[in-house]
Amino acid sequence: MNIIIVGDGKVGFALAEHLSKEAHNITVIDTNDDALRRASESLDVLCIKGNGASLSALREADAASADVVIAATSRDEINMVCCLAAKRLGAKYTIARVRNVEYASELSLLKESLGIDLVINPENATAVEISRLLRFPAAANLDTFCRGRVELISFRVREGDFVADQPLSALSHQLQELPMLLCAAEREGTDLIIPDGSFVPQVGDRLYLIGQPTGLTAFFRLLGRHTPKSRNAFLVGGGRISYYLASILDRLGVRVKIIERDEARCRVLSEALPRVTVLCGDGTDQDLLEEEDVAASDAFVSLTDRDEDNLIVGLYAIQQGIPKVVAKSNRQNYGGIAHAAGLDSVVSPKMITAGQILQVVRGMQNSKGSVMNALYKIADGHAEAMEFVANDTTRHRGVPLKDLRLKKGILVAVLVHQGQIIIPDGSSSLQAGDTVILVSRDHKILDINDIFDESFMDLGG
Amino acid sequence: MNFRLVFRVTGKTLMVLAVSMLLPLLVCLLYQEDPLPFLLAIAITGGVGFLLSLIRSNDHFFPREGFFAVALIWLLVGVCGALPFYFCGFFESYIDCFFESVSGFTTTGSSILTAVEPLPRGILFWRSFMHWLGGMGVLVLTIALMPGLGARTVHLMKAESPGPVVSKLVPKSSQSSKILYGIYCVMTLAQILILRIAGMPWYDSIVNSFATAGTGGFSIMNTSIAAYNNPAFEIIITVFMLFFSVNFSVYFLILCGKVRQALSSDELRFFLIVVAASSVLIAVNIYSMFGTVGDSLRHAAFQVASVISTTGFASTDFNLWPEFSRTLLVLLMFIGACAGSTGGAIKCSRVLLLIRAIRREIRQVIHPRVVNVVKLDGHVVDEKALRSTMIFFAAYMFITLGATLLVSVDNFSFGTTFTAVVTCIGNVGPGLELVGPMGNFSAFSGFSKLVLSLCMILGRLEIVPILVLFSGTAWKRS
Repeated sequence: MNIIIVGDGKVGFALAEHLSKEAHNITVIDTNDDALRRASESLDVLCIKGNGASLSALREADAASADVVIAATSRDEINMVCCLAAKRLGAKYTIARVRNVEYASELSLLKESLGIDLVINPENATAVEISRLLRFPAAANLDTFCRGRVELISFRVREGDFVADQPLSALSHQLQELPMLLCAAEREGTDLIIPDGSFVPQVGDRLYLIGQPTGLTAFFRLLGRHTPKSRNAFLVGGGRISYYLASILDRLGVRVKIIERDEARCRVLSEALPRVTVLCGDGTDQDLLEEEDVAASDAFVSLTDRDEDNLIVGLYAIQQGIPKVVAKSNRQNYGGIAHAAGLDSVVSPKMITAGQILQVVRGMQNSKGSVMNALYKIADGHAEAMEFVANDTTRHRGVPLKDLRLKKGILVAVLVHQGQIIIPDGSSSLQAGDTVILVSRDHKILDINDIFDESFMDLGG
Repeated sequence: MNFRLVFRVTGKTLMVLAVSMLLPLLVCLLYQEDPLPFLLAIAITGGVGFLLSLIRSNDHFFPREGFFAVALIWLLVGVCGALPFYFCGFFESYIDCFFESVSGFTTTGSSILTAVEPLPRGILFWRSFMHWLGGMGVLVLTIALMPGLGARTVHLMKAESPGPVVSKLVPKSSQSSKILYGIYCVMTLAQILILRIAGMPWYDSIVNSFATAGTGGFSIMNTSIAAYNNPAFEIIITVFMLFFSVNFSVYFLILCGKVRQALSSDELRFFLIVVAASSVLIAVNIYSMFGTVGDSLRHAAFQVASVISTTGFASTDFNLWPEFSRTLLVLLMFIGACAGSTGGAIKCSRVLLLIRAIRREIRQVIHPRVVNVVKLDGHVVDEKALRSTMIFFAAYMFITLGATLLVSVDNFSFGTTFTAVVTCIGNVGPGLELVGPMGNFSAFSGFSKLVLSLCMILGRLEIVPILVLFSGTAWKRS
C-alpha cells in the first residue's frame, strides 16, 4: 500500500520503520532536514521536505493515490489541516494524531467535516494502558481482547515460584484446569519461545499468559503474588498522560497525587482535576518524595518527559517497596536495562501508537478475509498477539487443530465460540463466527488463512 | 566495519557479474570463436562470488559499510572483468587488461589497444557490454535483481549513483533500481533499432549502442565512429549521447505525465545551453576546415556531445582542430553530464551550484548583512549539500593535479599528460595529442596505467567512497 507519513518525529519514525518492513511504499514529509536525513539513511522510504499541510507537498508525495495518510506532527492543528487537504486530494484513509485535551473531547463532531477517519491520541492510549496495569498490579504488561473478556499479561518468574524449573506438563492438575494458557516466553539471550508441554520455565524468564481475567487472578493467587488493585497512586510529571491517567483513576475511585515542576502547569491541573492532589516540585528529588511519604502509596508512575529520569525514579520507588511501579520510556533499548534492574512495567507511548496504527493498516490490507479486531506488539516487538473473527473465507473450518499444519512460531491461544471462551486443545476446531486470538513470531499475518502451512498440506494430498 | 556483510554483498555482485558474462560467451559461440577465455572468467568470478556469498552476516548496514562495499566491489569488478582479456592473449600484461576493464566499467573508453579490429568479436562485445553494465551501476543492478540485501541498500545506491543529491524515484530502493534499468533498457533498445534502420549492421549497432548508453566510448573501429563515414549514424549517435547524459528522473517524470516539471529542471536547461553554445562556437572556429555550415556544425555537435556526455566517440580527429576548440573541449571534460545520468565528470548540477555559490559570496561582500540561500529547481539547497559540492570540487581538482604529477614521470608533453588525467577522471575517453581520439594509452608505463585506472574509479564513484577505502579507521573491525 502507498502510505504517507507527515511528521518524522518519534512516532512518525517508528511507524515508518515498522511499515516499511512490511513492504509498504512509505513517503515521509517533514520540514526538518536532519529528521529527513536520518529517515532516508536508515529506512527504505522516500523523503520529501515540506509542510505536510500544504497542498504542494502533498501533491509531490502523490497523496491522490495514497491509501493511508498519517498526520503525526507535533501540532494538532497541522495534523487536522493535513488530513483535510489529503482527503480533498483523494487519499483513501486519513489518521490524525490529536493530543490537545480540549480538542480530544470535541473532535468527534468535527471528524467528518475535517476528513479525518481515525483520531489517535497516544497520551490517552498510554493512560488507558497504565490504568489497566494498576487494576491488575501483578502483571508487568496487560493487553485486552474481546472487549476485555480476554487478557494477555506478562510476569517475571522469581526465585521460589512453583512454576520454575519443571516442565509445563508436570504442573499440577489444578493449574491446567484454569481458563488460561502460557503463550510465549522471553528468555535472556534467545529468541522468543512459543512454549509446548516440555518447556521448562526458569527464574528470570518473562512469561506471557492469556486467558479469562478470573483464570489469571486465580493463577496469581496460586503463585502467592496476588495484590489487590491499587488504591492510591503517585504520579511524577504532570504532562498530558498524567492528566488522562489521573482523570481515569479518579473515576475509578483511586486517590491520586501528582508532582509537577512547572507551577503554571500545576495550576492548570488542579483546576481541571479538583479531587487530585497536585504538588509543585521536582519529582526526581528524593527528599521531596520522602516528605510526601511516597512509600505509603501502592502504585507509582513516572511520566516525566525524560526517559532516564523516569527509569531512575522508578527504580527508587521499587527500592522503597512500592508494590506497583510503572515507568514511561520511549527508547526501546532502555527496556532491557530496566527489566534487568527489576523494573518490569515500562510503557512506551510511541509503541502503543504505532501498534494502533499498524492494526488499522493491516486491517485495510485484508478487506476480503477475516476481520482483525486487535493487534498488540509484545516482547519489545518480537511477537504479535492478534484477534480475528473467522468467517466464510476461513479455510479448514471444522477440522480439529491437531490435524492442522500451522506455520512455525504460531499459536492459537484462545477461541471464543458463541460467546464462550475456550482454551483450545487438539480436538477444538474453528467455526465461522468464532473469535480467534493468535500469538505469532511471524510479522506477516494479515488473515487467519495466513497461519496454515499449506505447502505441506498440498504435498500430503 | 562489518566485513562479513561487505563480503557477502561483494559476493552477490560478483555472481551477477559472472552471469552477465554469459552474454559475450553467447556472442563467442555465435561467431564460432574460442569460448575458453569467458568460460575461465565465469568459473573464477562465479566461484569466488559464490564462496563470498555463503558468508553469514547480519544486516547492520551503515554508511561506511555502503561506501566501503562500493569501493571494494568496483576494484574487484575491474579485476574480474579483466580476466577474459587476459585469457584471450591479445593483451601484453595483466595491467593492460585491468586498465581496459576499468576503463570499460567506469564508462571511460580509454584503450591501450593500438589496433582494435583484429580482436575477436566476443571480446569486443564484452568491452562494450562493460560500458552498459557500468553506466547505470553494477550495484544498482545487483539491488534490482537481489532484493534480499535488506532495507538499508540505500547506502549502496548513494555511494554509487552520481550527483550531489540522490533522488529516489519511488519509496522502495529496489523498485527505483528496476525503474531506472527499465528506462535504460528501453532507450538502448530504441537506439539499436534506429541505428539498424539507418543501415548499420546488427552487431555494430548493438555494440555502439551499448557504448553510447553507458556513455563509454569503446569503439570496434580504430578510428571510432569516423570509420563509418556516415552522417546519419553520427546524428543518431549525437542525439542519443545527449539523451543518456540527462538525469534519468526527467524521463521518469515524463512517464508520469509531469512534463512541465521535468522540463523546468535548472540543470537540464544549463546542460542544453552549454551544449548549444559550445557547438556553435566550435562550428565557427572550425568552419575553415570543413567549408560547409552543415558539416562543421555536425562535427562540432558530435564532438561536444561526445565530450560533455563523457562518451568519447569521435567523428573526426579533433586533435587537429584549432587551439580554441581543443581547449573548449578539455573544459567540457571537466563539466560533464547531468547528475543521475550515466555520464561522468563533475556534473552540471555541481557546476551550477558552484556558480550560484560564487554569486552569493559576491553579494555577501557587497551587502554584509544579507541573508541568502542557494536554490536549485526552486528548492533551497541544504548548506550541507553545498559544502559537500565544494569539497568534491576541491578534491577533484587536487586529485587531477596530483595524478598529473605522477603520470608526468613518463616524460610525455604537458598536453598529453594533463589531458590523459582529465579524460580518465572525467570518464571521457580521449584526450589530446598522444592520447587524442585516434591515439591510445599503450605508451604509458605500468605505473601510470595503474594511476589512471584509479583516477577512472575515483571519477566514476565520485571520489569519496574510494577515499573511505584509504582511511585507516574504516578498516577497524566492529
